[in-house]
Amino acid sequence: MVHTTKTLGMAAALLGLMAALAGCNHTTETGPSTGSAMPSVAPAGKSLRIAVIPKGTTHEYWKSIHAGAIKAQQELAAKGTAVEILWKGPAREDDRNAQIDVVQTFLSQKVDGIVLAPLDSQALVSPVADAAKQKVPVVIIDSALNSTDYTSFVATDNKKGGLLAGQQLAKVLGGKGKVIMIRYQQGSASTEQREAGFLDAMKAVPGITLVSADQFAGPTVDTAYKSSQNVLSRFGSQTNGIFMPNESSTRGMLLALKDAGLLGKVKFVGFDSSTDLVTALKANQLQGLVVQNPFKMGYLSLLTAVSAVKGEKFEKSIDTGVTLVTPENMNTPEIQTLLNPPIDQYLK
Amino acid sequence: MSTTASPSVPTEPPKRLPPMSASRLLSLFGPFIGLLLVTLLFSIRPDVREHFLTPDNFRIVVTQTVITAIGALGMTLIIISGGIDLSVGSVLALTSVTAAIFLRGHQSPWVALLAAITLGGVVGIVNGSLITALRVTPFIVTLGTLGIARGAAKWLAQDQAVNAPPTWLNNLVATYPEPSWLIVAPGVWLTLILAVVTAVVLRATTLGRRIVAIGSNETASRLSGLRVDFLKIGIYALAGLYFGLAGGLQFGRLGMGDPTGNMGAELDVIAAVVIGGGSLSGGEGSVLGSLLGALIMALLRNGSQQIGWSDYVQDIIIGVVIIVAVALDRLRHRKPAG
Repeated sequence: MVHTTKTLGMAAALLGLMAALAGCNHTTETGPSTGSAMPSVAPAGKSLRIAVIPKGTTHEYWKSIHAGAIKAQQELAAKGTAVEILWKGPAREDDRNAQIDVVQTFLSQKVDGIVLAPLDSQALVSPVADAAKQKVPVVIIDSALNSTDYTSFVATDNKKGGLLAGQQLAKVLGGKGKVIMIRYQQGSASTEQREAGFLDAMKAVPGITLVSADQFAGPTVDTAYKSSQNVLSRFGSQTNGIFMPNESSTRGMLLALKDAGLLGKVKFVGFDSSTDLVTALKANQLQGLVVQNPFKMGYLSLLTAVSAVKGEKFEKSIDTGVTLVTPENMNTPEIQTLLNPPIDQYLK
Repeated sequence: MSTTASPSVPTEPPKRLPPMSASRLLSLFGPFIGLLLVTLLFSIRPDVREHFLTPDNFRIVVTQTVITAIGALGMTLIIISGGIDLSVGSVLALTSVTAAIFLRGHQSPWVALLAAITLGGVVGIVNGSLITALRVTPFIVTLGTLGIARGAAKWLAQDQAVNAPPTWLNNLVATYPEPSWLIVAPGVWLTLILAVVTAVVLRATTLGRRIVAIGSNETASRLSGLRVDFLKIGIYALAGLYFGLAGGLQFGRLGMGDPTGNMGAELDVIAAVVIGGGSLSGGEGSVLGSLLGALIMALLRNGSQQIGWSDYVQDIIIGVVIIVAVALDRLRHRKPAG
């Protein structure tokens, strides 16, 4: 008996809660619509709603993209075009379903344009095709998509980035030695191109042999750390050089090298930058970092998306550039702005 | 409350150690045999063995096992009591982010670690309370808290990895410990001490017998006067403390709190318990088995990568091992009955 009343009480409480929530919905619904009927597409004068969808949100890299987009937003506002940035991505960079959901949700919210960094070159093809059907322009950034439905492609030449990394590693190795590369993860076009570029550079140097290039680091620092430990345990003692293709994998390898007492002894070139990686570069634990320009990527992608929405002219493909940062050149002013993009100025 | 159940109700399962029959020997040594087989598998090729069967590689594998193993100890308690906790991976992320935030706020490492452990316990209390108050199965409740704890971790971390200054916490799970006479990381010793304590609690205390009793026959336990709801909350809370500790160590391992880390860790933890002889229908489970289960899985990943097998081969092998381990376990159980 006691049991039944308890359950009933709980059910009543739940019902009450639901009623309260429904009530809330009701008031917010009637609130804004009392003025005028909301058209589905914002007319001129209203702010344009552009969704910016990164691959993930935890890496510092995406913060720079966000900051760059905000810079573009401020400049556009000064010229009289109000733009609202809707920033949302999956938290983890291998969650394809979550990213597809994000794109579809934005489409059902009738955004005016989308800037998307697809975390899989194939999985995101169909949501982008949906956008094309609904005449919503999509600017692809950072990583390629196996599709022709998008409006513009604003990205780093990743293959060139991998090539630069390979050439730097060959240079610090004096053209000979045994080399490890651990891949990032399956399906990520940008890192696959870096890996391909790196392997091309290695093939061009006859004195270099690859001892391992078919293992994967996985999506987080933790997975990269474990993978690096396992590979180093087998090959560490005979390895002279290492390449890792992105920020989290480079960071995981640094932890594993520290464990194995190989920091600074093995030549190491990584990709992307973060506070930790720059510190490691300074300490000569890294002999090179290939750095993209995410700030510029965010900036140009928003400008391109807005131009496309407004029917103005825009570039179909933009290369935002890659730069090799070494312990020697890292203190030059232009490299410093690359390494320390003005994030705080735009992101609060 | 008296601990001895009334004789008419079979509350207490045959808890006295039965004589060392062949099947009992098998169940005791089963996980050891598994460990041995995995080790042999990767020792066949001499060029792999040379790096695989080394003290250094042993150190790496046991250090990689620590977090899963401590999680598996907590999970063993829950699974023996007939429950399950799917929120482990999220709790690891939540508590590691918490530790990082405390350290970033210039709190002492002790405070950060205690905060992580306490929060783990709090999530456990929430899990246990929801399960007993709402009368919803643990699977569903913890599926819910899996999402809630993950969300809380991302919210606390503002969707960013939380960096914190280096402290002695980082040394807890370093592959090469300081001082070096410890041989393996302090976290490994901590895991072993916790395992001994857990095993003693399970085998030699009233609390342990009650946990087994609830898992074997909950209704009977209730009828014989055990405060089952209260005990359940206690079990989830206790296990939560383990998960919080594992989260603190996860922070130490990376030197940062990653709100997206450890996704799916609950499956590794559950697999470790199951490989070690735990039964998802409750009443059975072994501390030593769970530890070995966790070790077997880390060893499989490590060996596969050294041998150069692809990602997919590793996934398939681990899947096969789980099924084979459980199938063997069922077989052992059928024999004495038939």
